[in-house]
Amino acid sequence: MVHPTESDTIPTHPVQPAPRLSMRTRSAIWVWSFLAIPVLFYCVIRFYPTFNAFWLSLTDWDLMSDAEFIGFENYRRMFADPGFWQTFRNTFAYLIYGTPISLLIAFVVAYYLDRVRFAHNFLRALYFMPYITTAAAMAWVWRWFYQPPPTGLINSALGELGFGQIEFLGSTTNALPAIMVTAIWAGLGFQIIIFMAGLRAIPDTYYEAARIDGLGEWTILRKITLPLLKPTTVFLVVFISIAFLRIFDQVYNMTTNDPGGPLGSTKPLVLMIYQTAFSSYDMGYAAAQTVVLFTILLVVSLLQLWILRDRA
Amino acid sequence: MATISLKNLTKTYGKVEVIHGIDLEIADGEFVVFVGPSGCGKSTTLRMVAGLEEVSGGEIRIGDRVVNELDPKQRNIAMVFQNYAIYPHMTVRENIAIGLYTQKLDKAEKARRVENAAEILGLTKFIDRRPAALSGGQRQRVAMGRAMVRDPAAFLFDEPLSNLDAQLRAQMRIEIKALHQRLGSTIAYVTHDQVEAMTMADRIVVMKDGHILQQGRPMEIYSNPVDVFTARFIGTPSMNVISSGQAGGEFGGDGGTPVLLGVRPQDLHVGPDAGEGHALSLSGPVTAVEPLGPETLVHFQLGDDTVIGTAPATEIPEVGSTVTAHAGRAHLHRFDAKTEKALERR
Repeated sequence: MVHPTESDTIPTHPVQPAPRLSMRTRSAIWVWSFLAIPVLFYCVIRFYPTFNAFWLSLTDWDLMSDAEFIGFENYRRMFADPGFWQTFRNTFAYLIYGTPISLLIAFVVAYYLDRVRFAHNFLRALYFMPYITTAAAMAWVWRWFYQPPPTGLINSALGELGFGQIEFLGSTTNALPAIMVTAIWAGLGFQIIIFMAGLRAIPDTYYEAARIDGLGEWTILRKITLPLLKPTTVFLVVFISIAFLRIFDQVYNMTTNDPGGPLGSTKPLVLMIYQTAFSSYDMGYAAAQTVVLFTILLVVSLLQLWILRDRA
Repeated sequence: MATISLKNLTKTYGKVEVIHGIDLEIADGEFVVFVGPSGCGKSTTLRMVAGLEEVSGGEIRIGDRVVNELDPKQRNIAMVFQNYAIYPHMTVRENIAIGLYTQKLDKAEKARRVENAAEILGLTKFIDRRPAALSGGQRQRVAMGRAMVRDPAAFLFDEPLSNLDAQLRAQMRIEIKALHQRLGSTIAYVTHDQVEAMTMADRIVVMKDGHILQQGRPMEIYSNPVDVFTARFIGTPSMNVISSGQAGGEFGGDGGTPVLLGVRPQDLHVGPDAGEGHALSLSGPVTAVEPLGPETLVHFQLGDDTVIGTAPATEIPEVGSTVTAHAGRAHLHRFDAKTEKALERR
């Protein structure tokens, strides 16, 4: 066979001029043109108001008159207000009790649900249901549970069994736990699904090897399942914490007559911000409260990521 | 160490029987390799011995105990898995030590055993590393270390080398064999790779569709396969199997009934007949050549089939040219055309 030489090779298609932009630049332009819309959107409706809130928190803006700079007056007023400290304590009560209880219940349910073969999908759907239910509808059902007899389900049952009545939403000590139960229940479905996905991701051979090595159930849970589930747990801890720090709709809907009551005993920060801004129209003060909430969210999230970091 | 004995072992999933009554005796200290294609039941059999699958029928004995109803941990066996099953969140030391977790030994003795196992497997340098920092071969050795420290009655290996690259696999074959010689342990080893079976086993058990087709020493199976399947499964490249009609007369069975004729590529020499009175001569156009270095594999057409022969390294035929290949009578295997069973055993 005769091989063509360099000189008698004829180009089969016209030579194209080299493009003016390099491959890298062109792909960057494409990427950014797709990203531009969400970036713009976030800047205008998320980042700008956030930074603006920092500025507003130093003013006395009340929607009607122009904002006037008043320094740290809003913060001074807030830290001197016992009502603020009440909501501060309430918010942390939701966080500190709600997060571990949610996590524990979600894990236990996921751990056992993962082994159930019978009606597995149905049960999973049942657990997920509260998560997709409107907070308002759910809160009203729970309010009905908590009513005094003969309307309230729980108190009627207690009465039937011969126990005394419990004041739930009307009591300054019981109202917050009662609302927290609803909030925990509402979030469980999602957390269970996430935990189950985490459990499924652990290869079966890890458990088979452990069984052959003679490890017991408890040891397998402690030494293998929980450590391997850590990324899932870290995610859920942060996710649940943020949800509890921002709790609003459960409280608002379960205490509609006196939002955050009785006597502010259930009021979280977000509800206080809402009332300051949209009942009192004290925008500067509300902005200052928002900045405090923002700081708490940031500190708590970073702290958790740091505590639960991988020490490898 | 202990013997393993399977008696009429069966396994059913629902109504489907996948293991059809297996009988096998594994002697104390013997290295037995189960080999067969995917789905032949070799892994299921091993997992029943381990206690990871329930036994549907028959009996498994380890030593002198019937273990059918025993939990895996009570059987005193160790198992090495294809994906190693070593824990990513533990160091090499912790991974090996987990094998001793439930044993009633004092701490110093446990540490001594772990270090001893690491030493034997050449893991001492890596003992405080996590698996993520190890190569595939090293991870496999950690899994073996965890099995070794237990000093179990038997080792079970479930395709332990399948995730390794070819070079590492060859090296690990030698290491596992050396380990067996050193520890003198009873080993049941499952693989689909006939090279592993040939090179490592004291005895090979060939399985297909939930039955044992043949068992014996590697060379015994290689030179005396009981049927066409075993003949083609063991040895690489696979044995050529042609009908006696294609081979030209005189090979037929009683009364001239047609038979299948098997000849290994290594025994089918491409080149001129040196007048040694070869029993079999086949000719056809060359479709492909594969120079391997020491020799060349020559694929040539014979009717509708392709036959593989070997040519010397220096004489590589052109694709398209016609070649003739010869084999001596001693290298021919005859199989019944209907049952595909070997007609005579040597």
